[in-house]
Amino acid sequence: MAVGEERAKNKRGIRGWLNPYQYNAERWAYLFQRVTGVAILLYVLGHLGDTSFFVGGPTGTGPSPSAWEFIGSIFENSFGHLILILVVLVVFFHGINGIRLVLAEFGLILRKPSAIEYPYRPKGLGQGQKVLIYVAIAAAVAAAVWAFLVLFEGMG
Amino acid sequence: MKESRLMLVQYATAVAAVILVSLHLIMQGVIYPYATAISFNNILSVYRNGFYAIFLEALLVVVLVHGFNGVRIILQEFRQSKPWTTWVDAGTVLAIIITVAYGTRTVILAVFGGVTA
Repeated sequence: MAVGEERAKNKRGIRGWLNPYQYNAERWAYLFQRVTGVAILLYVLGHLGDTSFFVGGPTGTGPSPSAWEFIGSIFENSFGHLILILVVLVVFFHGINGIRLVLAEFGLILRKPSAIEYPYRPKGLGQGQKVLIYVAIAAAVAAAVWAFLVLFEGMG
Repeated sequence: MKESRLMLVQYATAVAAVILVSLHLIMQGVIYPYATAISFNNILSVYRNGFYAIFLEALLVVVLVHGFNGVRIILQEFRQSKPWTTWVDAGTVLAIIITVAYGTRTVILAVFGGVTA
């Protein structure tokens, strides 16, 4: 491969994330970790804005029941609760998959090195990490169900 | 700061965020029914409890540092050049300062501000 081609291949940016060609579970986990991370940050920025209405918004001077009621009238409805359920879903996936990445970074759940053998297929991350990816997915779905029950069924 | 040290910051804030966000979710949906948790009087009592005010401030700082540092890491992977690195790093620091300042203002006014209409 020419140097130029190699550079182009390594500079696919977001297009590289969105090209699922030859993706395995680990690669999907990598993509979702980044997408959910950016989504959570956007939610946190919105949450910073809406919670500031507890003190009257950007120009407020102290706790204000009327400003809090105003912001609640905008977000406390079925659509707002649906967004919260999605936030819980992605937060749980991001958190547990993130713990997997921290453990891997410190070498705690890496598979043992082995000889490279024909046909040289990538061997993946090992059983421990794959299990954690599936745990992250299962926990995220369970947490979303819990959030649904809390928000729509009044459980809590 | 060295990139290796910034990655350690990312992992440390990740672990802290998992703990703090879990506690935040428990407070919002387990300890109190959700409708009670978001009521004005309940939030006021939470903010005016010194421990919870510090907890919310810690949550604010940890999540914003982790979030913006995460975006910085993604952006640094897209391009590698000295100006890009400098601008992205500077933008990250600025974004963290502005958002932490705005969130801290909310916490301070909620704790110390007089209740208005």
